[in-house]
Formats: sequence, structure tokens, C-alpha cells
Amino acid sequence: MSFVPKRRSLESRRNRWGWVFVSPGVLFFSVFSLYPILYAIWTSFHNKKLLSLKPPKFIGFQNYAKVLSSPDFWNSVRASATFCLGVFLPIFIASLLLGVLIASQKKGRRIFQMALYSPAVLSSVVTASVWAIMFDPRGLANQFLNGIMGTPGVDHRWLADATMVQISTMLVYIWKMVGYFCILFVTGIGKIPVSVIEASIIDGAGPWQRLTRITMPLLKPTMALVSVMIFTASLKTFSTQYLFTQRGAPLRPINVLTLNIYNTAIVEQNLGRASVMSLLLFATLLLLSWLQIRAAGSGEDL
Amino acid sequence: MMKGSYGNARLARSVAAHRSGNFLAAFILVAVSGVAIIPFLFMAGASLMPGSDVTSIPYRWIPKYPLWSNYLRALQGSDGDWIYLRNILNSFIVASTVAFSSVFIASSVGFGLAKYKFKGRNVVFMGIMSTMMIPFEAVMIPLYLTAVKLGLQDSYAGLILPFLTSAFGVFLMRQYLLGFPDELLDAARIDGCSEPRIFRSIIFTNARPAVATLAILAFRGQWDNLLWPLLITQSDRLKTIPSYIVRYTADLTADEGTMMAVAVIAAIPVFILFFSMSKYFLQGAGVYSGSKS
Repeated sequence: MSFVPKRRSLESRRNRWGWVFVSPGVLFFSVFSLYPILYAIWTSFHNKKLLSLKPPKFIGFQNYAKVLSSPDFWNSVRASATFCLGVFLPIFIASLLLGVLIASQKKGRRIFQMALYSPAVLSSVVTASVWAIMFDPRGLANQFLNGIMGTPGVDHRWLADATMVQISTMLVYIWKMVGYFCILFVTGIGKIPVSVIEASIIDGAGPWQRLTRITMPLLKPTMALVSVMIFTASLKTFSTQYLFTQRGAPLRPINVLTLNIYNTAIVEQNLGRASVMSLLLFATLLLLSWLQIRAAGSGEDL
Repeated sequence: MMKGSYGNARLARSVAAHRSGNFLAAFILVAVSGVAIIPFLFMAGASLMPGSDVTSIPYRWIPKYPLWSNYLRALQGSDGDWIYLRNILNSFIVASTVAFSSVFIASSVGFGLAKYKFKGRNVVFMGIMSTMMIPFEAVMIPLYLTAVKLGLQDSYAGLILPFLTSAFGVFLMRQYLLGFPDELLDAARIDGCSEPRIFRSIIFTNARPAVATLAILAFRGQWDNLLWPLLITQSDRLKTIPSYIVRYTADLTADEGTMMAVAVIAAIPVFILFFSMSKYFLQGAGVYSGSKS
């Protein structure tokens, strides 16, 4: 009888090792995640300047009021929303289509996956710098468009015109991300049980029927997941916009939220307002992450 | 038996339809892959041309003669002080340190969470998972202030410390280790293995796929990181590749050919990784959709 409690105490002593293994993580996340987010909330209620020696003063909701009434902030909301919506459909449709096509291949799956994924391997800054050269007035993009439209010598102002520069940033992003999301679809299709597909073939379903009646409905959780991920990822876009503006592109059309936060904090040195924008971005992403968890959760029911 | 007799004709028809559909599918895939690769061809070709050829009309894809000196000039930098070489070294230092530490810490935490029933385990797990929702962009400003307070600005420690590990890495390792049978742990204990040794042997022998996936994700994340080094470093000798490229590209008088050489040099290490370990790259991408299964 005394054997049981003894064994339990041995086990509970061993379980203390759990804390030993976990403690570096607890320390790390407290300092570099939890503390900064609390600090961000605190800063958003104070008038804190980057290099000022004056102690920050509590100013209530003034930062929030200022941000929410500033046209500059709403321009960034517009820029970010335009960007997200602009890249969403092209990325979603292309990656779904390519994912289905890759999954239908018996040979060469790996080669196609690697070819399509390679843009995602390239750093976003390298990507942006290569495309910046292609968007040069005398560059490849103009020559290509003029070749198609039969308008030799016209400059389409890829990096200079307010509308074109938005399209340019979207093109770069679409090129970079389609392969990545395509892999998610390939993985999702791979999880559909072979028996279901075999059964449908035996029942006489053709390829098209199989696609619309079997693959697509069973792929719904992956679609939901990918949709949310496209939104969360594209809301965080920064490198392309930053590099293009550094190379002389107009700021306003592509002044997405992350770029605005960076400029407000570092160039204008207004940390309170930068924090407010960070928190608003955080709230939006939190909402999207919640949707993502629900999407992933519904995948579990599959 | 039954199946064969009534399904054969249909099956054959379906297979035939499948074949022709397959051909079209392969054709589309080849075409799209070709489009995906065009910027790489441009980048590689242009890196061996004088700037005037990069923007010549019409553009000629193949350099008249390969101008290898572009690469030398790229490494030398516009001031001839080899600063790019230094920045490449910085990127290597930061990315490898982060890859190593993120694997080490994440697997330690993941192991603790997966294999010990200690008090407060759920609180720790939920706490770490909730930080996964905090995007870096939302905390970068307070993180910057914290780093400045700790005296970390313009130092390697400042570049590295905020990325020592990631909540996603913890999640990945925990999920992976949950599937590891407890019986093997107990067997090792009976043989007199200490807990740290059990951890070591599991991580380095049995968790290799998860470790490789995580290490690649972490390395690439830092190789690609622009925003944080932009905030935390001021001096050129501490910059990493991305901020160097931005500065170089921002200079409208810089030679376009050399600029592409700069880009190719930055791309080579990740592509070597990609070609030698593509399985883990694709796995890393699939982790999100596959994580629940």
C-alpha cells in the first residue's frame, strides 16, 4: 500500500524538471513579448518622445483621438486595405489552382513545388531591389507592357505614378507569395484520404466532378486558413514599400500601416502615436488570428 | 471480385480522361513555373552586365561578356571599404545564432511542456501560445525602447536577443514531442539516464525533422529581417544584409549591374540551403496547415 504514494512523490519530484526545461522560455517571453505589449499600452496613454529627457506625461486618450482624427492615419488604413484586398484574390485563386494542378501530377511534383516556392525563398528586400530595377523607366516592365500593348517607348511610371506604384507593390507581393500558399494547398489536398477519392472513381466520377464534389468541399478548412493567412501576412508588408519609397517612389499611395508606424516612431519620434497605431494593428491581427484558430479548429473536425 | 467486373470500363475511361487532363495541367505548371523564374534569370544575367546594358532597350538577357568585376565591386561597396562583406558576416552571425538558440530553447520548453506534468503547465503553455498572436510589428516600438534601456542598441546582443526563440517554435516542438512515446523515456530512466541526458538524446537523435524545420525557419527569418536591424543599429559596421541592400538601392546613381550582383550574393546562401534541404523548407511552409494532424 505504501508503494503507491511513494511512487507518486517520485513522479512529482521528477515533474519539477518540467519547470527547469520551461524556465528559459518563460523568462524570454516575459521580457520580449509580455513586457513590450504592456509597455505599448502604457506608452499609448502618454506623450512620449523618442529622445526627450522630460518624463512622459499621462494624457489619457489624446493619442488615440489624434491618430483617429488624422487624415494621415486613414490614408494608411486605405493603403493597407487596398493592398490586402488587391493581393487577396490573385494569390488565393492562383495558389488554389496551382495547388490542385500540382497534386494532380504523378511525376515532377517536387520540381514544380520547388520552382513555384523559390520566389518565397528570396529575402523580401532582395525581391524588392530586383523588381525596383525591372520597374526602372528603361527597365523590363515597361518593355514588356509596351510589347504587349504595341506602344513603344512609353513610360508607364511603375514607381512614380500614384496608382501604378500600388499595382507594382502588389505585383511583387503576388509573385513572391503564390508559391508559398500553393504549398499549403498541396499539403491540404494531400490530407484528403485516398479511400474517398478511390471510392469516387469507382462510382464513376470524372476528374471535374471529383474536383468540384470531393476535393473542393474537403479543402474548405485549408481555404479558410489560407484566406486568413493571406490577410495577416499582407497586413504586415513593409520591405517592398520601404525600399520603393527609399528609391524615390511617392510615399502617400503606399504608406501602409507598418511603414507609417516606423516613420512616426523613428522619423517623427512620436512614440505615443506610433504605439496607438501599433495597438490598432495588433487588434486587427488579433481578430484575424482568432478567425485563423477557428479555421484551423474546423480542420480538426475533418 | 465484383468491383472488377462492373467498374473496369468506367475506370479505363476515367484514366484516359485523367491522362489528357494531366497533360494540360503539366503544361500550365511548366508555363507558370517559367514566369516565376523570370526575375531570377533577370537578376543573374543583369548581375554580369554594365549598368547601361541592364536598362538597354531592347533588353538582352544574356550579357555580351560576363562582367565578373561587378561581384568584386559589390563586395567592396561604393566606398571601397568592403563594408558589404562585413554586413554579410553580420547576417551570418545573427542568423546562425538565432537558428541555434531558437532550436535549443524551443525544444527545451517544448520538451518540458510535452513530457512533464508540473504545476502551472497549462498557464505556461497558454501564456506562450498567446504571445504567438502578438505580431512583431505591434511590439517593435516598445521593444526598441526596452532594448535601449538595457543598453542594447547598436550591438550584436541587440540584434539577436529579441529573437532567441519563438512561440511558434515552442508550439512546433511541443506538438512533435507529444507524439514521442513515454515508455521510451521511462525505459531510459530505469537505465539510469538523467533528465537532461534524456532531453539531449531525444532532441538530437529522434526530433531531427522538427529541429531542421525550425532551424531553417529561424535562419531565414533573420536573413530576411529588415525592420528590427533598421531600428536597433546605427553604425554601418553592424548593419545586416537587408539594410545594406536598401541603402544601396536607394542610391539612384549606383550601377544597376553591381546592384544585381549585391542581390545575387545575398540570395546565394539561402538558395544553397533551399536546394540541399528543400524537404524541410516545404515542410516549414506546410506546418501551419499540417500542425493539427
